[in-house]
Amino acid sequence: MSGQVLVFQLLNGIGIGMIYFLLSVGLTMIFGLMRFVNFAHGALYLVAAYAAYVVSQATGSMLWALLFGPLAAALLAVVAERLLLRHTYAMPHEAQILITFAVALIVQEGVILVFDPLAKNVPVPDFLSGIVFLGPFVYPAYRLAVVAVSAAVAVLLWFALERTRFGAILRAGSESTEMVSLLGIDVHRVFLGAFALGGALAGLAGALAAPLRGVEPFMGLEALGIAFVVVVVGGIGSFTGALLGGLLIGVVQSVMSSLWPEGARLMIYGAMALVLLVRPAGLMGRA
Amino acid sequence: MSAFREGGRFPDASTVGIAATLVALPFVLPSVTLASEVLVFSVAALSCAFLLGMVGLLSFGQGLFFGIGAYVSAVLLKDHGLATLPAVAIAAGASAIGAGLIALLAVRRHGVYFVMLTLAFAQMGYFAMLALNHVTGGENGLTGVPRPPLLAGMGALSGSEAIYAFLAVLAFAAYLLVQRVGASPFGSVLRAIRQNEPRAEALGYDVRRFKVAAFALAGLLAGLAGAMHTVFLGFAPPNVIELEMSERLLIMAIIGGAGAPGAAFVGAGFYVVMADWLSTLWPRWLMLIGFLLIAIVLFLRDGLWGGAAAALHRLRGRGHG
Repeated sequence: MSGQVLVFQLLNGIGIGMIYFLLSVGLTMIFGLMRFVNFAHGALYLVAAYAAYVVSQATGSMLWALLFGPLAAALLAVVAERLLLRHTYAMPHEAQILITFAVALIVQEGVILVFDPLAKNVPVPDFLSGIVFLGPFVYPAYRLAVVAVSAAVAVLLWFALERTRFGAILRAGSESTEMVSLLGIDVHRVFLGAFALGGALAGLAGALAAPLRGVEPFMGLEALGIAFVVVVVGGIGSFTGALLGGLLIGVVQSVMSSLWPEGARLMIYGAMALVLLVRPAGLMGRA
Repeated sequence: MSAFREGGRFPDASTVGIAATLVALPFVLPSVTLASEVLVFSVAALSCAFLLGMVGLLSFGQGLFFGIGAYVSAVLLKDHGLATLPAVAIAAGASAIGAGLIALLAVRRHGVYFVMLTLAFAQMGYFAMLALNHVTGGENGLTGVPRPPLLAGMGALSGSEAIYAFLAVLAFAAYLLVQRVGASPFGSVLRAIRQNEPRAEALGYDVRRFKVAAFALAGLLAGLAGAMHTVFLGFAPPNVIELEMSERLLIMAIIGGAGAPGAAFVGAGFYVVMADWLSTLWPRWLMLIGFLLIAIVLFLRDGLWGGAAAALHRLRGRGHG
């Protein structure tokens, strides 16, 4: 593999990795806060990608799609939490997993019902459809924009978690929900906020990914598998872990796709198996 | 979630009930083919129900071992000219080994992490199938798998009735195996792990080794079901190893309830017959299965089997009172 191809694939990998980070950070955050595994997390990504498809068809503008995708996902997360999920917090993990899995199934079938099972293309926004010259390299502008947007969101999110009151409550809640509750904070509103935020982030991942990979009804399930790999590799409950895990998986997938195209996806799981073997708790995980 | 009963006896009344059901099924259902499909998925769902009911392990990955069984048997029958019975046996053995190897990694994590890993490894199986497309046929699957005699020198396995009879014997054997394990000391240790893992460990049991053994046994069952699927269809389609297959098997096990080995047969039968009936009426019938799943988890913890058993118990109680 020549140097130029390697740099190209590394950049691609960072772009994919940042999308994987956005996808997984909400899952890991919600788990850290309430020990709740959301098997419907991939459905949020799915709904946002389809919302982006509809909006970009209707308005011809990807910018609106980037706004409405996350909004649709956050809305779904909030509705699901209010109507169903909050009644399962006291149940065993198995029950939560099965119920959220059923929600994912219902959303997936709903998407096929409204649209159809076929894959659809989402156009790259006009003003980002060109290429950018980076010194001696040329690179698609949209992919560069994905890296820039997701990096900006990652910084904002870090700032929100570390420097705001809501972030402090979230972090305290993941240490001890009971203590936070005793301090007079309504934890149920915090949970709802965490679901909305996690949904919006997964939604942003779905909307950003839509022009890169198109949309199809089973992308939610695939995304769920990827998010699990990211949190297993990075260590669950950790912001840095999700970032490292996402980037590592994205780069492995991208670099392998030029070395062994048929096996690129397989190597993601190979990387996960390797991490499990040498560091079972994940890169940033607490044992 | 529900669990296999304490100190189940072997054989008991349910053994007779299952045998009778297997004989009656092709006459009750609209076609022998549908009855054969019920058998294939009963054994596969049994794999999920065994893990959940005996060891308390929720697996989103049994489709991987189902797929391994389906592909290994297809390759052996098609390219290596093996007779049916050895091909099925080797396929089930290969799945058990695969499951044991994956379990060695997966048991390093507990609880929800374990569940996530089963899903991730199931997804890995699908991509491995695509990567090895020169063996597996990739997106096309393996077509034109022959149905040779059970053993070299015997008559050919032909006709849907003969295939049903063969599958029924295998399904009954799988049922007996799970029931026997449930009544064994090994089964008691698995139940102890399900009830309280730290306690089982404190008693001196090597919990990881027991979990790996149980997972390998479940892999054997799922692999057997996959090989049965290949014999039944004469074809190994790529969907046997897709993540949707893992989900389908788990749904069957949950609908039936993990309270007894027979429940898996009820869940699989319900799902396959519903699929046959509803899919012609409304292609999106899986949405209804989603709602049913939520209802079962919220209101009928022990699945259809447990619900029926409770109703029977209440009727009997009323009779005595």
